[in-house]
Amino acid sequence: MSRIEERLRFEPDGTVTALSGKVEYGQGLRAAYPRIVAEELGIAPERVHVVLGDTDQVPWDMGTFGSLSVEMDGKELRGAAAFARELLVARAAQRLGCAPSELEVENGIVRRRGDGRGVSFTELVAATPLAGVIPEEVRLASPTPTCPDSPAGPDGPDMVTGRVEFAGDVRLPGMLHGAVLHPAIHGARLQSINRAAAMALPGVVAVVEDGSITGVVAEREDQALAALAALNPVWARAPVESPAATDIVLRSDPGTEAALSAAPAPRRLRAAYFTPHVAGAPIGPSVGVADVRADRALLYGSTQVPFRLREQVASITGLPADRVHFDPRAMSGGFGRHNASDATIEAARLSHAVGRPVRVQWGRGDELRAGPNRPEMTAELEAALDAGGRITGWREEIRTNPYTYDVGGDGAGAGRPPLATGSREAAGPWGSPTQMMAMMAGRNAIPPYDVRRAEITLHITPGRVRTGALRSLGASPNTFAIESFMDELARAAGQDPIAFRLAQITDPRLRRVLEAVRERSGWTATPRRKGLGVACVVYRQTCVAEVVEVSVARSGQVSVERVWCAVDPGHVVHPSGARNQVEGAIQMAASWTLLEELPHRGDEVTGSTWQDYPIATCTDAPQVIDVVFTGDDTMPSLGLGEPPAVPMAPAIANAIFDACGARVRALPIRPDAVLRALAESSELPEPGGKAPLRPGSSS
Amino acid sequence: MAVTLKINHQDRTVESPAGTSLLTVLRDELGLTGARFGCGQGRCGACVVLVDGQPVPACTLTCEEASGRSIVTIEGLATGDTLHPVQRAFLDEGAVQCGYCTSGMILAGVALLERVPSPSDAEIRSALAPHLCRCGIYLRAIRAVRSASR
Repeated sequence: MSRIEERLRFEPDGTVTALSGKVEYGQGLRAAYPRIVAEELGIAPERVHVVLGDTDQVPWDMGTFGSLSVEMDGKELRGAAAFARELLVARAAQRLGCAPSELEVENGIVRRRGDGRGVSFTELVAATPLAGVIPEEVRLASPTPTCPDSPAGPDGPDMVTGRVEFAGDVRLPGMLHGAVLHPAIHGARLQSINRAAAMALPGVVAVVEDGSITGVVAEREDQALAALAALNPVWARAPVESPAATDIVLRSDPGTEAALSAAPAPRRLRAAYFTPHVAGAPIGPSVGVADVRADRALLYGSTQVPFRLREQVASITGLPADRVHFDPRAMSGGFGRHNASDATIEAARLSHAVGRPVRVQWGRGDELRAGPNRPEMTAELEAALDAGGRITGWREEIRTNPYTYDVGGDGAGAGRPPLATGSREAAGPWGSPTQMMAMMAGRNAIPPYDVRRAEITLHITPGRVRTGALRSLGASPNTFAIESFMDELARAAGQDPIAFRLAQITDPRLRRVLEAVRERSGWTATPRRKGLGVACVVYRQTCVAEVVEVSVARSGQVSVERVWCAVDPGHVVHPSGARNQVEGAIQMAASWTLLEELPHRGDEVTGSTWQDYPIATCTDAPQVIDVVFTGDDTMPSLGLGEPPAVPMAPAIANAIFDACGARVRALPIRPDAVLRALAESSELPEPGGKAPLRPGSSS
Repeated sequence: MAVTLKINHQDRTVESPAGTSLLTVLRDELGLTGARFGCGQGRCGACVVLVDGQPVPACTLTCEEASGRSIVTIEGLATGDTLHPVQRAFLDEGAVQCGYCTSGMILAGVALLERVPSPSDAEIRSALAPHLCRCGIYLRAIRAVRSASR
């Protein structure tokens, strides 16, 4: 139950301050939130300022992830602003001696229709600030007005001039620099270090071994890094516990097996798909600055979860949580990676040990070796078609790893304590750890089609490397499998891939996005020289369809040339910012589809530079990304940051098949994978066979 | 050792151990944090500054090597409150998300347009290619440099 005074402050200068526990790392919240408040209050968005993620000022928040910031916290702010408007009108009615129905609100003034007498928001709150519980049912402006569009957010000018302060730019008086050992082998234990060698180096203040981390603290950053190297650590693989698997049945309809076996061989398909570990790979590696004193702690750093960080540091230092202050600065794009506040927690441990402020900046090698990665996924799919090409049965088995960070603890070597029992978060917004795993790994594991009967099972085992969330959780891997398979089914049914999908969709919003990309991409125009592929998803409630045009060189090199995307995210708060998110999601997903795979041998990460982990550059960017929003303003705003990333991998794979007949069932789709698939396409096994499947094979 | 650097048209003398990188001097000694640390390996473009007009990752240059050359950082690009046309174009195209790659991208665009006032699409792409962006603003950055060109 949110209170208005926790969410909005009417300042004496006529501006409004909006408060949210979400943090900004490029999603455009600093642009979107003022517009939401402005829409309901009837003022210019420039008059609304936001305070984000400052744990001393904003209400508790679970964290910034899941494309929930506009959908959930935006809704809270919208409700707060609408309620504020009601209260302000009521106060004005009393002041002006008239009925609230005689009043209108314009540009921060409540005015009586007719005689034009008015009173400003500032006057109305001067004596008594607005307070009280925001009611569940508050009347919102309808239809939702949209503020005039603007290309960049309010932080744009500081970004293009370099003035914007990132957490890594913070320098505190007396600040030292720390560095912490990270093994390349996941979960490895430290056998020995050469403490004396590190201590003998210039500028070294301490070697810290606190049971969770081993690190050094020095006057300068280069001294800290030299001392870290001098520790000469010897690692040993920790005894491998037999991985505990969690099996979760997402759907189990009676008669699925019968439906599958009833179909004659040509109309019964099986295929297996694989997606590798993809690194979070933020351009700005994890960073943190901590000043831990006897009675309080002050933190800066890259985190998507300020209140979780506060609790973690409280538990490390023994301070009460309200004596730990996270003060946000700008942050490099996280996409889930900064759900783990690695460097800030390390900085807090080191500062706690040496009693002075400490800054910890992870390097590129630290990121690749010890940062979290998207889980691997193997999916086996099987489906049957009737004579008319309708799906009559569907079986799906997904094997993957957990997307969570701290639930149940983990051994990533970054010293994150488990959450305190009974904490707000341990109770969880989504129920038990198993339910949470099903929600994360199982996101979009259920196809958005009427498949009649289905058996869908998730098998979750711990990853060999450190795993965590990356832009859309399991949705992207799962949808790669499902939407690639839908394309294979459409071909088997002899149908157009879009028509095949439309025939088994009931959701009118999903139909609309598919129809929109069909029209805008010139899908039906023939002949085509290049390949076109389609895929779609309903991510939580946001509907997305994408058509991708690729060219495939003789070398097997794939170029994404053009992308058409239709999205229904409900009411669009900031059109330019929303487009930016869609384009960015498409660009990032194109990168992981064609290029990205964590280099590792079993549990050992084998790379440490951008050369070992290339991502897309400007030369890989498509010529055109065409974005259209098909939602309407009578719907609430839904998530937008993650959903458009989801259909890209299968749309690209399907376009490659359309271009050259190569069916690639494993990511990343590098030239050799295309050439291999091309060779296999000429020697396809008999359909319907029962040979064991390996990723990338079909029968 | 004392090193004198010409940064944003001003001489700045710093006291740094020999071999200290230009990036460390900029960020830790001079408070010019617009050049961001991304990899320390010269492979991400986040710390690019202009050295005699050429885009160079500040992490790959020692302060001795930088001495005597003209260095321009993102902080030295605007004239008072007037943004450089490339900065203006990044704003107008909304070519920003988290902002971490922005300084380097803009400086790469500035260097390109100094050399080639009307670059082709391929020239723009290859000039910006050393600058990694995880948020995916590439198309907007390309548009911004194009719109700032003649």
